[in-house]
Amino acid sequence: MSFGDYMLFIVSAILVNNILLAKFLGNCPFLGVSKRMDTATGMSMAVIFVMVMAGMITWLVQYYILVPLNIEYLQTIAFILVIAALVQLVEIVMAKSLPALYRALGIFLPLITTNCAVLGVAIININEEFDFVDTLVFSLASALGYSLALILFAGIRERFMLIKMPKAFQGTSIGLVVAGFLALAFSGFAGLVGGH
Amino acid sequence: MSLAKEFTKGLWEIVPPFRLVLGLCPTLAVTTSAENGMGMGLATTFVLVCSNLLVSLLRKVIPSKVRIAAYVVIIASFVVIVELMMQAYVFPLYQALGIFIPLIVVNCIILGRAEAFAGKNSPLPSIADGLGVGIGYTISLTVLGAFREILGNGTIWSHGLFWDGFEPFTFMVRAPGAFVALGCFLAMINLVSAKLDDRKRRAQS
Amino acid sequence: MRDIIKMLVVLTVICAVSGFSLALVHDVTREPIEYSRLKFVKEPAVKAVLSGYQNDPIKDRLVIPVGTDKKGKPVKLIVFPAKKDGKTFAVAFESAAGGYHGDIGVMVGVDINSKKLSGISIVSHTETPGLGARIIEPNFTDSFKGKSLDKDLGVSDISALSGATFSTKGVVTAVNKARATLDKYRDKMVQ
Repeated sequence: MSFGDYMLFIVSAILVNNILLAKFLGNCPFLGVSKRMDTATGMSMAVIFVMVMAGMITWLVQYYILVPLNIEYLQTIAFILVIAALVQLVEIVMAKSLPALYRALGIFLPLITTNCAVLGVAIININEEFDFVDTLVFSLASALGYSLALILFAGIRERFMLIKMPKAFQGTSIGLVVAGFLALAFSGFAGLVGGH
Repeated sequence: MSLAKEFTKGLWEIVPPFRLVLGLCPTLAVTTSAENGMGMGLATTFVLVCSNLLVSLLRKVIPSKVRIAAYVVIIASFVVIVELMMQAYVFPLYQALGIFIPLIVVNCIILGRAEAFAGKNSPLPSIADGLGVGIGYTISLTVLGAFREILGNGTIWSHGLFWDGFEPFTFMVRAPGAFVALGCFLAMINLVSAKLDDRKRRAQS
Repeated sequence: MRDIIKMLVVLTVICAVSGFSLALVHDVTREPIEYSRLKFVKEPAVKAVLSGYQNDPIKDRLVIPVGTDKKGKPVKLIVFPAKKDGKTFAVAFESAAGGYHGDIGVMVGVDINSKKLSGISIVSHTETPGLGARIIEPNFTDSFKGKSLDKDLGVSDISALSGATFSTKGVVTAVNKARATLDKYRDKMVQ
């Protein structure tokens, strides 16, 4: 791929096919941690970090372990174990060597194991038959798209405290409706990557 | 506690994804039609019941420090079984649900029930719990799928519903519609349960 | 210490049991999975190019080894026979050739005795929408029907698409490749 192709690929992954709003991956933490801006930022950083690492490692696992041994059908179980182990490892290493970062991100790390966006991106990388560089770029772009949506959403949600709203809609329900409008706004970007 | 109570609580008291706000990704992604919603619900129910049973049988053997890892292995194994079975016998559904079948692994409902219930209770109640929550989830997904299919596509179970020239509200089967539909459903459930609580309180006083 | 050993033992046993049972399930479902993949992915194309058969071409498929690829992995050709009264009278199989952009996969149906095309169907392509992508239209594919495979086809033999020369040539080349394959493996296909 040329540089232009990569730019298009990145824009498409961040805005048009946003992993959260168009592909519906990683919605539980999306609604869970978006009540306040600082938790949303923390979660975003943790997702970017883990998603890129997991994307690379699962790609290597797929093509250097599963494919040569002809056990591609164990993909799901292998990937989730790799991700769980990776998250644990990152947690331990971070606690020892980067205590400041650990204090900021630590509580989000265990949540990431069950963030389906991480496993989802790892599986998409394989399904789309990306090579290693594509995988790296796609994982990073998807993670950035996730963060963008999460932080924007948290910004909107913080204002809910100032608004009077019907009792039935309070909490998650209005969150979902607003996420729908955010998704609607994002779908306006579809024209950017025409013909693909 | 009776088995029936374990079963029925999954149908209303903690029915996912409305009361127990978990497992949202498949809820949003696959409910473009009633059929897909039901297929996803049933696949999840199968994994949920099996993993609940096994986790409950092994609850005294698994050391608590590694329990999450063990649960994940158990759940992932059942998910792979479902994946293979669906490919073999219901291929069109497998294609329609796509990436969300392997992602049943990270559906927080399943790990949530293993941790909150099956890890602490004996096998029979655990099965009842899994079955209740699973069926509750299946019904929710089917109803939501039917709602979106009728409005967004003008069909139900792939049968046409409306007169010729009916212009379907395609917004509903698109991504943004998924969020809005689920949000409105959630609000409706909140409203109904608030009314019910109110009535109960008035009856007591 | 005892705790750690217990943890290791329990986790290992769980993983081993899970691995073993998954291998078992995989073994049992391999055959049905292959069948349903072909059934739902290839059958529409097979139905488009063959007609008048009484058997299930997917179930009766033949797998013919046709050499190895660059990495030394064996390449297999899957042939779908159309039978009447137990006798194969036509076959369908896939062929591919480069179009304007990437390979065009073509399902080719041939009458065994007359060596005439009973039809072609495009199974995969990445041609330009509106131009090369018109190769999937019946106007174009139907013009192959009844053409004899005694010699290679040329672009003039069929109704070529204007403005999509490379895509047209790609499909013709794929059909001609199928002709070579048929000549080479005819005996194995009819058995």
